[in-house]
Amino acid sequence: MRGGAAPSLGGRGALTIGTAPAAAWYRRAAMEPAVLARGLGKRYGRVAALAEVSLEIPRGTIVGVLGPSGAGKTTLVRCVGLLARPTEGSLRVLGADAGSADGALRARIGYMPQEAALYEELPARANVRYFGRGVPDDRVDRLLALLGLADRAGDPVLGFSGGMKQRVSLACALARDPELLLLDEPTAGIDPILRVEFWKEFRRLRDEGRTLLVSTHQIDEAVHCDRLLVIREGRVLWEGPPADLLARGGASATARTRAGAVHERRFEDPARGMPPWIAGIGAGEIVELRVRPDTLEDVLVRLIGERSDPGAGGRSSASLDRTAPGG
Amino acid sequence: MLLDTTRVARRILAQIARDPRFVGLACAVPVLLVLLLKAVFEGVPMFQRLGLRIGVYALPAGGFIVFFLAYVLSTIVLVRERRDGTLERTLAAGYGRASVVLGYVLGYGTIAAVQTAFLFGTTLLAFDVPLAGRVAPVVATTLSLAVVSVALGVFVSALARTEGQVFPTIPLVIAPSLLLCGLVIPLASLPGWLRAIAYAIPLTHAEKVLLGLLRDGRTFAEVAPWLGALVAMGAGLLAAASLTVRARA
Repeated sequence: MRGGAAPSLGGRGALTIGTAPAAAWYRRAAMEPAVLARGLGKRYGRVAALAEVSLEIPRGTIVGVLGPSGAGKTTLVRCVGLLARPTEGSLRVLGADAGSADGALRARIGYMPQEAALYEELPARANVRYFGRGVPDDRVDRLLALLGLADRAGDPVLGFSGGMKQRVSLACALARDPELLLLDEPTAGIDPILRVEFWKEFRRLRDEGRTLLVSTHQIDEAVHCDRLLVIREGRVLWEGPPADLLARGGASATARTRAGAVHERRFEDPARGMPPWIAGIGAGEIVELRVRPDTLEDVLVRLIGERSDPGAGGRSSASLDRTAPGG
Repeated sequence: MLLDTTRVARRILAQIARDPRFVGLACAVPVLLVLLLKAVFEGVPMFQRLGLRIGVYALPAGGFIVFFLAYVLSTIVLVRERRDGTLERTLAAGYGRASVVLGYVLGYGTIAAVQTAFLFGTTLLAFDVPLAGRVAPVVATTLSLAVVSVALGVFVSALARTEGQVFPTIPLVIAPSLLLCGLVIPLASLPGWLRAIAYAIPLTHAEKVLLGLLRDGRTFAEVAPWLGALVAMGAGLLAAASLTVRARA
């Protein structure tokens, strides 16, 4: 977790556990995307938690699953993690059909649930060792040291802060050096510094060739992802790289006139030049014109249609409030 | 699979070792219950007038205590594991369901074995038990009963969402077991349909062995079929329990 010399959490070197044989089926499977879903759906009784979700997650990428609470993020993560059985569609995980999944496939997936789900009476080290199913003790200790828990490795998790529990939970998910990491809101309820550290770590894991599926309701975390999957009410609203989503964004323009009036409008396609309403004001009347292109957060907030994170969404309106009376 | 089983069992024992109060109570409770039995049966004139040979009933009653304690403990712990997501996480880590269930049996079975040791030790000191030459089958029966309890606990825990919901199931399992197992009321005096229920209860088979050996002076060969039936019920309950340990909803 600490920066500096960037020690590796896994790689394919000395820390690697349970190297799979380079059999032909394995090579073939390794070329398939990490996750391939077609028309995926999951119903709980009459409630459709997911519907018609199609996605392809290439290996070695970070995919962020964004959406408001109750959008189906956890259901999607649990389906991919072989913890929920889809009721419709097809799903392949790490080159295997999710329906015929067994313990061996599960062991190649690292799963970090939303709640820490640790044995709190036990020390951090014992938790990682247990969920790592026989990983060597030196790997357990190195993982905990990397996550900044070297001093507390022998202490029961019971007395840990929320952020420390999340770190132990992440260590458990990483213990077996999984190819696919499923992280369900890993940064929920942790402090901003640790959030930055977590994302640094996620990128390093990606750079080492792992695939990460990270769900979050924090819109500002979208910039860290290689691809985004925006869902609401169980359906995919948008899927692709953040840059493509940003390109769909517009801009907002604020014009202040000589008389002191402030006009604030949006225009959806800045490439086509100034919208007619500015000309309508009269060029000579405008004393100040500000154009602010949408940020990724703006685009996401508009896309999702509701401000799931008040911190991210509230800023622009707050700044408008400040400029209006001054003009 | 064997390795995973021992990992689950070791984890359970490590959890318990971290809780000295639990360990103390778990060892003290069987001792105190046996002493209470002695106080009641030897202190109340009515029982003395009946001329009951208390010594022969002490261990069969102890078997019931082991059954009761192991059942309550494993049910409550399993409900907690299901609620907190640690059971799901265990399965997500690649542990097989059979490894998990057998790990629980090994872990809680070890605790039950320790409790049995305390119970037997106290019983032998407190009562005059005709145990000579029967130690092995009596211990085997009590431990088989503990396995049945853990399996039943895993199974019942799937029906409860909270620890609070476990409590109503306790009398539901314990009361019929105690009333119909033959310890309190002889099986022969039960009406047919009640006797049919009695034979569906694992404790009945255990008591057939324990009472047969200790009270009725039967040989092990005579009671062995009952022990076999108990073991078969244990195996069936283990299979049923493993069906409730599922990663996928």
